[in-house]
Amino acid sequence: MTLSGRFVFLVALGAVPIVLLGNTTSRAFALLLVWLLFALVLGGIDLALAASPRAVTVERMLPARVRLGESVTSELYLSNSGRRRLVGTVRDAWQPSAGAGNNRSPVVLPPGERRLISLVLTPFRRGERRVDQVTVRSRGPLGLWSRQVTLNAPGRIRVLPPFHARKHLPSRITRLKELDGRTSVMVRGPGTEFDSLREYVRGDDVRSIDWRATARRNDVMVRTWRPERDRRVVILLDTGRTAAARVDNEPRLDTAFEAALLLAALASVAGDRVDFLAFDRRVRGRVQGASGAALLSQMVDSMALIDPELIEMDWAAVPGQIRSITSQHALVVLLTSIDAAGASTGLLSVLPQLTKRHTVVVASVLDPVTVEAAATRGDRDALYRAAAAERALLDVARVSAAIRQLGADVVTNSPAQLPPALADRYIALKAAGRL
Amino acid sequence: MSVPVVGVETDADGGAASIATPTLRALLRRSSFWIIAGAGIIGVAVVAVLVSGGTNVVGRALAGDNPSPAGSMALVEVLRQQGVTVQLADSLAEVRSLAGNNSTVLLYDENGYLIDSQLAELARLATRTVIVAPDFLALQSLAPAVGFGGVSGAKSLVADCALPAANRAEQIIPGGNTLSLPGSGTGCFPSGKDTFSVVQNGSTTLVADPRVFNNENVAGFGNAALALGLLGQSDSVIWYLPTLADLPRTGPPSLAALTPGWVTPVLLLLGVTAIAAAFWRGRRFGPLVAENLPVTVKASETMEGRARLYARSNARLRALDALRIGAVQRLATTVGLGRLAPLEEIIGSVAALTGGAPATVRSVLVEAVPTSDAQLLALSDSLLALERATSRAVAAGAAPETGGVASAIPPALSPTDLETERMDP
Repeated sequence: MTLSGRFVFLVALGAVPIVLLGNTTSRAFALLLVWLLFALVLGGIDLALAASPRAVTVERMLPARVRLGESVTSELYLSNSGRRRLVGTVRDAWQPSAGAGNNRSPVVLPPGERRLISLVLTPFRRGERRVDQVTVRSRGPLGLWSRQVTLNAPGRIRVLPPFHARKHLPSRITRLKELDGRTSVMVRGPGTEFDSLREYVRGDDVRSIDWRATARRNDVMVRTWRPERDRRVVILLDTGRTAAARVDNEPRLDTAFEAALLLAALASVAGDRVDFLAFDRRVRGRVQGASGAALLSQMVDSMALIDPELIEMDWAAVPGQIRSITSQHALVVLLTSIDAAGASTGLLSVLPQLTKRHTVVVASVLDPVTVEAAATRGDRDALYRAAAAERALLDVARVSAAIRQLGADVVTNSPAQLPPALADRYIALKAAGRL
Repeated sequence: MSVPVVGVETDADGGAASIATPTLRALLRRSSFWIIAGAGIIGVAVVAVLVSGGTNVVGRALAGDNPSPAGSMALVEVLRQQGVTVQLADSLAEVRSLAGNNSTVLLYDENGYLIDSQLAELARLATRTVIVAPDFLALQSLAPAVGFGGVSGAKSLVADCALPAANRAEQIIPGGNTLSLPGSGTGCFPSGKDTFSVVQNGSTTLVADPRVFNNENVAGFGNAALALGLLGQSDSVIWYLPTLADLPRTGPPSLAALTPGWVTPVLLLLGVTAIAAAFWRGRRFGPLVAENLPVTVKASETMEGRARLYARSNARLRALDALRIGAVQRLATTVGLGRLAPLEEIIGSVAALTGGAPATVRSVLVEAVPTSDAQLLALSDSLLALERATSRAVAAGAAPETGGVASAIPPALSPTDLETERMDP
């Protein structure tokens, strides 16, 4: 039960008769009592005449998935199985991060009919957004008192990572295609395989001329090469505590998602097999054996529910996890964070095991705030800040050098630039035939 | 992007199980234990008050309707049984309306509310007056010859006077205050020379000790006989205990007298309106929705924290070292030497490129020790200047600049000056 502003106004209106007619104290008190009784009786009658919200049944239709930043419509069907016409308000109790805005809608439900209440959801957080209950408030004919009932109507919607980095995909695919059919020595290497013969055009490398074919065809022929296909790419995501840190108002984990998605999209276009693993002390998400469109949709689906865990990454278990995915040579991309030497000992201790078998790339976000602070020297505070920033950068440089020494590759960049940088490194490695 | 899959989640059963709000009956049934327990506690409390209330209530002393040990209900009831009309009065106005031509007034003014004129009027109204524990003002206006006699030291108080009621009583409760009667007059129950517990002065009887009349002591000694003898002489007794109503009114009329009658009800109505409005605005539209919020940690926090640590401990050299190592590494890359090139080589190349003296470059990059924040700032500025000059020189095709760095480094930073610089506290 609840009451409306109209009822409050009705109670306050009692001041008029009390002031006009209550010339003695006892008479004024009697008027007060009579007025309050009058208001209560009126409210009670109103409540008794209101349609029962218990007679309302709820049905919900929801799209299963939405990308972060996009909007979907949530449909809620209310049917009135009671005998009275229900006039009131409905609140669809979505979690705040589902971005429902004003979730209270007026509703008029004649008996035996069904009405649609649609709500535009623009979720602003990744993951699973839920709704559990719908509250119906049924107003009486006078609009003084209302009946209120909460109905269970569970629903959920999975909010996928946005994949903003897909804007870099077309240009990277173009560059990947340029690798195809190139004759340049730069492309030739152990990782490239013979593709076809074609006629020589000016500008081709003369070292690519196939003299035997030239003799056969009476025309100068060149060999062309294409990058190897069907290589394996394993993307390992560190979801430990360092992934929770925000760089440029974006958690490291989300940047890692973007980079992983761009790399996976690119690698699957290039014909490589991509496996994805999110890991801290146990497996948080895994996508194996998918390719093409299924790969990306499975990846975003598993990423949607992953949140950084406030525990330390178990690097010792990583080689075993990668061995369980592939025993062949693969490109292993570790999306983690490179901080001080002390925090990176786990990573450094397992790198030799990985680099012995695989080509390893360690990708990490570099905080642009640190880079900027290192160059700002105004007053005393700014100077010490610059020194601390420089120290942090030196730590990163030291760990990066150690990683390179252990035979792995390092990609560090700002959150916006890390996904394309990682994609570029992938293309470079492919061109060099190191996959 | 279009939504790939459309899933449908329906709430098909729609029965009573899908309603989260309990019905009134279910709510009552669920909370029946608490309702019964609350009612039981209230019931026990009421019974306990009724049972113990008779003895525990501390009313006004000597009040005729007070059954507690300090009251006088016993005496009043006995008087009534004997056919005496006892009327209780709270103000002089009541006494005025009750007083007949043969009535006794008992006055016990514990707080001294009555003033001179009121006491005089009281004496005029009543045929007989019994004043219990008279105060100074009462003695002054009604019996000016009587004074205070202090606390009685006698072991027993015996009547020893001509007053018939006192004679019948023979003895009263020992102790208590006394009155002194230096001149002539009727004094009973003496406890020393000229000090008596009861004094009769015309139609006025003064009883110094109020214990004679209270429920606790009225049955002891001859207390009851004295009290009944003093009060039972006439058909009607007015039992007068003055209250605040007897205080004379002074000053302008009170606010309550000036406000119209509807003001209090309207204020009450406003209060009710406020409660209704609070309920209107405060009633929740369904239960709160919980949400797990993500942890937000800014990655630059460690950097900021380290900067504050440097600043608080004045770690100038440590801070400068970080800046210098960074600068040296950048310079090495700028001049085209490897990351692992020896420092001497880097200093040599930088000096050659910028046209500065190797000693100055070395001082900036390695040797100068800052002893104040100003020096630290100057050194950091010269580091930046050195880097800028080097990259300019490299960009200009390695043409040596003249005096590029020498002018960029402040003279205060030459090693000799550093020795004489005052140390910061």
